[in-house]
Amino acid sequence: MTSTYDHPVYNYKVVRQFTVMTVVWGIVGMFVGVLIAAQLVWPALNFDLPWLSFGRLRPLHTNAVIFAFGGCALFASSLFVVQRTCQTRLISDKLASAVFWGWQLVIVLAAISLPLGYTTSKEYAELEWPIDILITIVWVAYAIVFFGTITKRKTSHIYVANWFFGAFIITVAVLHIINSLAIPVTLTKSYSIYAGAVDAMVQWWYGHNAVGFFLTAGFLGIMYYFVPKQAERPIYSYRLSIVHFWALIAVYIWAGPHHLHYTALPDWAQSLGMVMSLILLAPSWGGMINGMMTLSGAWHKLRTDPILRFLVVSLSFYGMSTFEGPMMSIKTVNALSHYTDWTIGHVHSGALGWVAMVSIGCIYHLIPIMFNRKKMYSIPMINVHFWMSTIGTVLYIASMWVNGIIQGLMWRAYNSDNSLSYSFVQSVEASYPGYFIRFIGGAIFAAGMLLMAWNLWLTATTENSSNSMEVAKA
Amino acid sequence: MIANPIGFLFYPDRQWQLTSSLDNKHFSRFLLYPVILAFIPSIAWFYGTTVSGWGIGSTEGATRLTPESAFKLIAAFYVTMLISVAAVGYAISWMAKTYGVEASISKGISVSAFAATPLFVMGFVGVYPLLWLDLILGIFALCWSVYLLYTGIPVVMHIPKEQGFLYTSAVIAVCSVILMSIMGGSVILWDNGFMPIFTD
Repeated sequence: MTSTYDHPVYNYKVVRQFTVMTVVWGIVGMFVGVLIAAQLVWPALNFDLPWLSFGRLRPLHTNAVIFAFGGCALFASSLFVVQRTCQTRLISDKLASAVFWGWQLVIVLAAISLPLGYTTSKEYAELEWPIDILITIVWVAYAIVFFGTITKRKTSHIYVANWFFGAFIITVAVLHIINSLAIPVTLTKSYSIYAGAVDAMVQWWYGHNAVGFFLTAGFLGIMYYFVPKQAERPIYSYRLSIVHFWALIAVYIWAGPHHLHYTALPDWAQSLGMVMSLILLAPSWGGMINGMMTLSGAWHKLRTDPILRFLVVSLSFYGMSTFEGPMMSIKTVNALSHYTDWTIGHVHSGALGWVAMVSIGCIYHLIPIMFNRKKMYSIPMINVHFWMSTIGTVLYIASMWVNGIIQGLMWRAYNSDNSLSYSFVQSVEASYPGYFIRFIGGAIFAAGMLLMAWNLWLTATTENSSNSMEVAKA
Repeated sequence: MIANPIGFLFYPDRQWQLTSSLDNKHFSRFLLYPVILAFIPSIAWFYGTTVSGWGIGSTEGATRLTPESAFKLIAAFYVTMLISVAAVGYAISWMAKTYGVEASISKGISVSAFAATPLFVMGFVGVYPLLWLDLILGIFALCWSVYLLYTGIPVVMHIPKEQGFLYTSAVIAVCSVILMSIMGGSVILWDNGFMPIFTD
């Protein structure tokens, strides 16, 4: 079956594999998220089983959506873009295949070990040391394939999307290796080589740059290829793309300490993190404006192309969450927002609104190409998916904003005799309506992924002469 | 009549059509529209926070603000509403050129004020603050306003629907940034002289 789709020049097999797995892991990761959202409304849903408890499923959810769903989208798009823009095949099909199967093995190992309770307790880096080593090997192989392909490119120029992908690959390697350094005790237990505040700082240097490089730089790479491609227009300003690339990678790496405001971290480090986070607004918005202005001239295509809508809205959410982030890093604001649901709302305006939406847009662009079709089986279905994603995201973040502010205000409310006005449990009770709306919003978003999977299935399996492309022409 | 809140609530299409027939420079007369409508939520919430009071979760008895404290907060609330409408309006007129039209600042402000009608009117729920009810009605009013903006901008600016979709999406992005500034600003003000004072 796969051989009928093979491209004469490019290696589409690995791109196709990652494309399909993006949708599969998206469904898995998002429904685990819906389950734990439901557990916060109906705690009995953990069925008193340790494997289904919130504390074990939450890291499974984050790992699945970030590294399985987001990761597969990044692998698929970067390996596609690097071939197309360098006009050459990947340097090694075997190594590319090893990257695919290696990454799937990592995901499966995560899906087994996290519910069993094996964890390093480092957020977004919970996997134990044997899996960390496997990740490193797979990542190095990925870097060899990507940069190797760039070195034998047939064009003189390295397109800007590849710069973003390249920065993402290098930085994630550095972050992963340094943060995961640990002393193994047994096969399933290790201790970080860092201690105390240094451990916390290294962890959030990693954690924030997982956001900055995995979830931003990589996805900006996606934006810089797929937005101009789908809009059929050149990028608005190539110079702006270069300026904001260097500004972004120079500034992002400093912002981690804002996760540790008012902790044992030295005060100057906290303030430095806050200042760098505020400066970060400029390069972030440089990227957003570049994407928005590219799309603004393609309005006449919107009528027939719901994929463009995904890209437009993803950029709006990117602009919004990159404004919200610096604002929340201001110490006064953070004093209220930290540890509340506002943080979860902020993460999801980035994760659902930006990362997932731009990935979905890119995957809808890739699916027909990967299966030799002119277009997706059903365009109206993409349109429905678009509205489900938008409504789901809005419900999610609006409810978390309300919850976050209520919690923050309740926790700091004093009576006239200086006793606390509310107990913690009262703030949980006040959060129920928000938790319920969040569950609804998340469920709508996740259900949209099922629609996508169905559309993918129909596109891949329906033999229709009007919708298939000649292999030789492509 | 163009500046007719009932019209924007129940016959928005007709109302936007009426608005679209006006010339760019004739919009300054609508600047009073938000100034007046913003009194609805202000008065309602003043009553709600000083007389009705509210409770969160299972807390017994209602919490209320002292009238002085409520007045100060509501005054800030009123000013914030007007600044927000003006800021969105300015953004609408500033971005017009990108989408191939000319719009004066007063036209931009009028469009943003008209679209905000459901939010102003729904502010009336403040007379009886009940968290979950206000949340649901607030989201409902918000969706309505967003809908008004999406349907209104293409008509008022005389541009195709698809171009209007992009234009409006950019405006919505500005709105969400302003919303976030309000959230952050409230938190900072809370620590700097705007801490509410409750009655005992």
